[in-house]
Amino acid sequence: MRYSELTRRYFESAPHAGVLLHDAVSSCAAALRVATPGIFRGAAGNRERGTWVQFDIQVQAGLCLDARFLAFACPHTIAVAAWVAEQASGSELRTALPEPVAALAQRFEVPAEKMGRLLIVEDAWLAAIQAART
Amino acid sequence: MSESPASSELPVYLDNAATTPVDPRVAARMAQVLNSDAEFGNPASSSHGYGNSAAASIEMARAQVAAAVGADADEVIWTSGATEANNLAIFGVARYYRDHGRHLVTARTEHKAVLDPCAELERRGWKVTYLVPGESGIIDPAQLAAALRPDTVLVSLMHVNNEIGVVQDIAAMAEVCARHGQAWLHVDAAQAVGKCSVDFAGCGAHLMSLSAHKVYGPKGAGALLTSKRRARMHAGARAGVQLTALQFGGGQERGLRSGTLATHQIVGMGLAFQLADEMSGAEGRRIADLRDRLWRGVAAIGGALRNGDAQRVVPNLLNVSFEGVEGESLLAAISPRIAVSTGSACTSATQEASYVLRALGRSEILSESSLRFSLGRFTQERDIDTAIAVLSEIVPRLRRIAGA
Repeated sequence: MRYSELTRRYFESAPHAGVLLHDAVSSCAAALRVATPGIFRGAAGNRERGTWVQFDIQVQAGLCLDARFLAFACPHTIAVAAWVAEQASGSELRTALPEPVAALAQRFEVPAEKMGRLLIVEDAWLAAIQAART
Repeated sequence: MSESPASSELPVYLDNAATTPVDPRVAARMAQVLNSDAEFGNPASSSHGYGNSAAASIEMARAQVAAAVGADADEVIWTSGATEANNLAIFGVARYYRDHGRHLVTARTEHKAVLDPCAELERRGWKVTYLVPGESGIIDPAQLAAALRPDTVLVSLMHVNNEIGVVQDIAAMAEVCARHGQAWLHVDAAQAVGKCSVDFAGCGAHLMSLSAHKVYGPKGAGALLTSKRRARMHAGARAGVQLTALQFGGGQERGLRSGTLATHQIVGMGLAFQLADEMSGAEGRRIADLRDRLWRGVAAIGGALRNGDAQRVVPNLLNVSFEGVEGESLLAAISPRIAVSTGSACTSATQEASYVLRALGRSEILSESSLRFSLGRFTQERDIDTAIAVLSEIVPRLRRIAGA
């Protein structure tokens, strides 16, 4: 498989990989509100099915102070999750992804057959936002 | 040991089971044929010296190939490679013996060049029994004995598995077929030559497929060995296993494979097989040492599972699944620095896991995160150390990203 220069760069550097909640119980399937004030977690997908993504976000006064991700996934998915976390950090907290899935697919030259994996990124992000707003 | 023909700036090449670089000695001989004023003739043109010279070169290559695998020269039929040889063996026997029975036996872990012809025969009404090896990849001869039926005409099993490298006991399989009496044994030996002992006459197989480009020869050349030995229930026949030709026009290769022979390709294959035969002992020990060095380094990373039997395996192959790592990312991360094959055909969203590893009982996720390292004649210790260093960096990094 060939990857765009942008995909390879974000896959190889993986900015914002990691967690903000070190003692929290992780969830592979659903959003999980955790006890640490201002930090929220959401995840989607399934390792056994080949793609799992998790976002931790630190929220304060309507701002996303920081965002981190973990991904058991292909290079495209890791690259997009890294980019999403990078774009969200320091920005106004928004429900949607920084860009729609279709635009992300175009930006990272994601093959059409992999669109479902970007939807998992979106689901994980929305789960984290949902956790923050519940 | 000579240096690799590849530049040192290229990724370390550990995919010799896919194909080998052409040995410079083979390339030189092939170039000699291509540039020759005497050997360019059509080998079938017996009316002049040009043709006779080419024919002599081809017969020398035939003898070289036969000597390397314990066959007689007149048992060698040239083909374009092992895939064509497999097709000729399977369809050739099926068509010739269709009135004797319409049942075949093969294994789930065979190469697609055997499985796909078998599937095609199924579409044409044949019955095929697929043996499933144990976790080690080894097929028990008793499994074959249990699968044979009165109407079985062909058994097709590979000598060395192309993904995990395990070596089947072909002589034992041949004994089972001999007791049955009418089942011919075809062996795909593409991965075996130069890596383990191959003795066509001694092992009792009736048909054997060979490839040049797995043995430092050129792509586009191969052979099918056809034994003159008769099976018990065919004792009344004048000769050994019979085939119906699949292509016509010219009658070359005893009418079984028409078409002008590619002299330079065949000459290259002949020399490649001779070299493999001459070098196999020392080369095998050197490569096995490198393979063991690689395994020690990979095992030290942790969470690395070796696939297939670790004893009955060719010296050049190591197949490993990495826990907690996604297969496509693993391959993408290492591919700029190491050229290997993955156990997964994960070029699309379907992420088809290796059917060989799945047949051995590995989970889908572990099958997808497997790498096949296949060493070769030009692999050096520094290549192995580079591979270990790259994997020791990449695997833990991907595990951290995956939260594993």
